[in-house]
Amino acid sequence: MTAGLVFHPDYLLHEQSPGHPERRERLSYTIDQFREEGVFSHRSIRLITPQPASRESVMRVHFSEYLSFLEGSSKTGGFIDFDTSIPIHLWEAALLAAGGAIRAADAVLDGEVENAFAMVRPPGHHARPGTGAGFCYINNMAVMVRHLQDRGVMKILILDWDAHHGDGTQQIFYEEDSVLFTSIHQYPFYPGTGSVDEIGLRRGTGYTANMPVPAGTGDESYLYLFDTVIGPLAREFEPDLIAISAGQDNHFTDPLTGLALTARGYSEMMRRAVDLSRDICEGHLVAVLEGGYSVEGGLPYTNLGILAALAGLDLSCIREPSGFLEWLRKVRDPSAHRGVVENANALRTNLSPFWRCFGSS
Amino acid sequence: MLIGMDVGGTNTDVAIVGDEIVSVKVPNDRGIPAALDRITSQGRLGVSSSQPLNRILTGDPVRVVTILFPGPGLAWPGLLKGSINHRGDAVERIDPDEVRGFILENPGDAVAIASKFSVRNPVLEEEATDLAKEHYPDERIARSAPLALLDFPARVTTTRLNARLKETVCKLTAEIGKGRPDFFFFKGDGGLASPQVVRENPSLLFNSSAAAVALGAFFLSREKECVVVDIGGTTTDLVPLHNGSPRMRTLISDGERTLAETVETLSIPFGGDSELSGGLQPHRMGNALAFGGPRPTLTDALNVEGAEIGDPSRSVRVGKSEAEDAVDRYLDQVSYAVKETGMDRIVGAGFLAPILIPRIARRAGMRFTVHTDSGCANAVGVAVSRVSLTLHARFDSGRKRAVLNGEVQGLKCMGDDDSLIGFCREEVRRRALAAGAYPEDVRKIDLVSFQAYDVVRGGFRAERIADVVVRIPPGITMEAL
Repeated sequence: MTAGLVFHPDYLLHEQSPGHPERRERLSYTIDQFREEGVFSHRSIRLITPQPASRESVMRVHFSEYLSFLEGSSKTGGFIDFDTSIPIHLWEAALLAAGGAIRAADAVLDGEVENAFAMVRPPGHHARPGTGAGFCYINNMAVMVRHLQDRGVMKILILDWDAHHGDGTQQIFYEEDSVLFTSIHQYPFYPGTGSVDEIGLRRGTGYTANMPVPAGTGDESYLYLFDTVIGPLAREFEPDLIAISAGQDNHFTDPLTGLALTARGYSEMMRRAVDLSRDICEGHLVAVLEGGYSVEGGLPYTNLGILAALAGLDLSCIREPSGFLEWLRKVRDPSAHRGVVENANALRTNLSPFWRCFGSS
Repeated sequence: MLIGMDVGGTNTDVAIVGDEIVSVKVPNDRGIPAALDRITSQGRLGVSSSQPLNRILTGDPVRVVTILFPGPGLAWPGLLKGSINHRGDAVERIDPDEVRGFILENPGDAVAIASKFSVRNPVLEEEATDLAKEHYPDERIARSAPLALLDFPARVTTTRLNARLKETVCKLTAEIGKGRPDFFFFKGDGGLASPQVVRENPSLLFNSSAAAVALGAFFLSREKECVVVDIGGTTTDLVPLHNGSPRMRTLISDGERTLAETVETLSIPFGGDSELSGGLQPHRMGNALAFGGPRPTLTDALNVEGAEIGDPSRSVRVGKSEAEDAVDRYLDQVSYAVKETGMDRIVGAGFLAPILIPRIARRAGMRFTVHTDSGCANAVGVAVSRVSLTLHARFDSGRKRAVLNGEVQGLKCMGDDDSLIGFCREEVRRRALAAGAYPEDVRKIDLVSFQAYDVVRGGFRAERIADVVVRIPPGITMEAL
């Protein structure tokens, strides 16, 4: 098995401001970890260099007026919200990130690699057709999905496991039945959306599945949701490709969130996603990086665990160092699982009219 | 005077480069001291010793015990407790009893010790080294931190290689150092290094003969775009030069990547001592008949064709048609290979170069150069080389720590980017001069890479990290120009 790793050194250039958490160190430390692990010369991993997305590609998702605003503001600097300013050269950085997602998808579709991880920034899943938000400007995932559809891929399952609800992606596909959007996210939390009652609209009703989880949620709950919600939905939906919005900010060392996933939990979840993709869509799986801010903690080896799972490598040493275990003990809330199960049950009830796996006739 | 010594497979070549070049050839069976005795001039001595090291690698297997501290990440067999993270923090300490038990349960001849990110904090490797010293002498223990580069798999392979070579390098250092305590080793990248540097990373010496020939041929011919054809006893080696330098490639050991770089060489398995037995054979059974050897060789075939090498009368056992066929086959093989390099000029090296290079060039349709001292181009290359040194530095203001080539130092004040680069340039210059570099050779220091990051806490830049690599590149010493 060969996994593609889409990366460009220019992904390290974008910076909103010197103190902003969505900073180049998110990737530079991961690149250090990859270098140390010998990833770039590993026989099961192929480094893939992306090109910027075309304006036409991103216009399949975003309004022309918004893109013109982004492009223009990128020349002088600008502002979207308190989390999301527009630094000079943002336009080029955002197009290269979207292009990375597209390149990853093409590499999988063309059989260049079995699956791929687009390790891009800036992230995209909060970006909506007409605006950016939450560190995001262009919705990389949505641009990639539209590109896949243009290439004839009929059905796509999105799994967004970033700690923050992927509101932008949800909105873009909310009324479509060819894209099944699923999301596990901390709730209540930014951006405030993502309840179990948001299940899609019109033709898309039943094609949005939100799995909100409380702070302190750990590996057990994520794997439970994967096995009892995502897996059954995926097998019934039978997508042609699984697309993962891979935010690594659920790790217990992340400074912006309150979840308690471990690197091993992440890699195990990705391993199950890979197995699922082999069962139902010939292994076609693309992961696109979203959040993840624990640059000094678990982010580098969590990203490694994601890549290792995609490449089918031994995950037995994807683990936490003993010096971090007390930290994990403090963050993890064993009682959170009860809330997870309750929310999952509510979701199943809401979706039961649309999916046999949840009880519809 | 600049003195170069290349310990080859059969002979040791010595070249003394001053106003003119004087060379001698000493059979290896007389030992290195005999070669050193032939050096009567005072001056800086460089020694290329890749052949003795190659013999270690191809000889009886050395059992290397590998002690690994991979920490979280990709799986490795035989891992032990202990972890350094990407920041260089020890986030998991070693368990001394576990390490002791591992050493006792896995007896070997030498020990290789490697932890992930040891180049940013070597503490786990140092602690394990202390434990290994309870059972092994320091000459048989190699650590990965001095290799200074991120790439744990390649560092492990290189450290294992170094564990196999370190004791031999120590013995060579002692043997040569008796008569010439201030000598330099000649490295596979074409530069010189002190024995202290080589002791921590013996892989630097790998395949240095090819680098020596390349540098010597360039020095003698000043041809920047050419293919150097070095005709040895066992093989004929082709080294293309671009802008006066050979291409480098990663050394592979036991099928795995290392961090060592060696000169890209195409080796053809025929040389002056290749046996004639039912045609030219790709192996060496000893010297040519003309030099008192037991079997006829390519050298004897050349004598039959009219050359006067050694004692030509001893070569008459070879029939004329057999000799012509052998020489023809040799010329075909080598001329085809040199044409494939895409270069249009050959620079000859080796004892037989004056005889064979014109014929190879004619057959290949290429121009050629054979310098009168081409027979000792390898030793000349060693002599005219200069001290080269790379400094990998990491500065971490938060940890108040600087790590220079795997060694930790305190860091009082970080300074701005320019001052960090300036510090590194000055440090590599100081180290090179302390090792004995010619002052003119260390005026220009290359900045290979610079990266700096801020550590943000509470929305503010609280700390800063910088990685700097500077280098004194290999090449010809200003002393020789």
